[in-house]
Amino acid sequence: MENLEIEGSHKNFFIPTVSFNARTGICQISGESFLEDTVEFYLPLIDWVDEYINTVKGPIALIIKLSYFNTSSSRSLLDILNLLRDYEEAGGEVVVNWHFDENDIDMEEDIDDYIIDTGLEINKIPL
Amino acid sequence: MEFAENALQMYTDVVDSTIITYNGPFDAQVLSIIAENIEYSLSNNPRVSKKIFKIFIELAQNISYYSAEKQVNEEGNYFGVGILMLREFKDHYSFSTGNIIESKQVLPVLQKCETINILDREKLRQYKRKLRNMPSGVPGGGNIGLVQVALTADHPLEYDVINLDSEKSFYILNVRVNKS
Repeated sequence: MENLEIEGSHKNFFIPTVSFNARTGICQISGESFLEDTVEFYLPLIDWVDEYINTVKGPIALIIKLSYFNTSSSRSLLDILNLLRDYEEAGGEVVVNWHFDENDIDMEEDIDDYIIDTGLEINKIPL
Repeated sequence: MEFAENALQMYTDVVDSTIITYNGPFDAQVLSIIAENIEYSLSNNPRVSKKIFKIFIELAQNISYYSAEKQVNEEGNYFGVGILMLREFKDHYSFSTGNIIESKQVLPVLQKCETINILDREKLRQYKRKLRNMPSGVPGGGNIGLVQVALTADHPLEYDVINLDSEKSFYILNVRVNKS
């Protein structure tokens, strides 16, 4: 299985940097997420995680370092987290680390909402 | 009427006031230019700048998607038309937006605003989570942008609808963000 690498940018839209490693299971999303077509952008990420879970079946660590995401990106992030929750419930090894600026109270609240929503244990890591 | 008194209060409290006014289609270029302007204008207060930026993106996208008045760009894409203002006051910033909506959307829009305003913060977060688990793209329904705006602003929404004719109304929204 191949790695998934997307180089981020901050132009008209904000594309997050994506680095999903099929050998280590370490998957990182960083930067900012505000896209022209959110569903189109996140579909390959969701498909990659789905394939990893079903073929590699190894441990997976999702590392989120997003300083900003809009509400439409927040739906796609929920889709990824729900996949990981299902994998964990089926016996998969899952770690989610979410890095955030400790001055960003709204972001911490957002992470708490994902914890409530998914039932996943998400490690909140203040910067 | 409370809204009118608030408007007068805003007028008299205004400090050097207008940071941004824009009237036109909310396409990607416009969003990008205004977003950059916000980051630059408010760079001395990163916490508030971030809130203003987040609110701006959601308000602008709402106009872009849901305004009943559309303009087409060179690539043939349609974008909603509306007006947006960001003003600075002594102790807060204020976003005002206005756009045309179809009359049949008036009730759902008002219900949405009313629902947001009667919920306390915890209930509003619950509401956001509920909407996020629903399909998107239904005006006044699955859209969580406005809920996020109210959460980020941490203030009730001020809103009004003016009837233009039997088919169209003008929807006005005012969002306040404290400086500290």
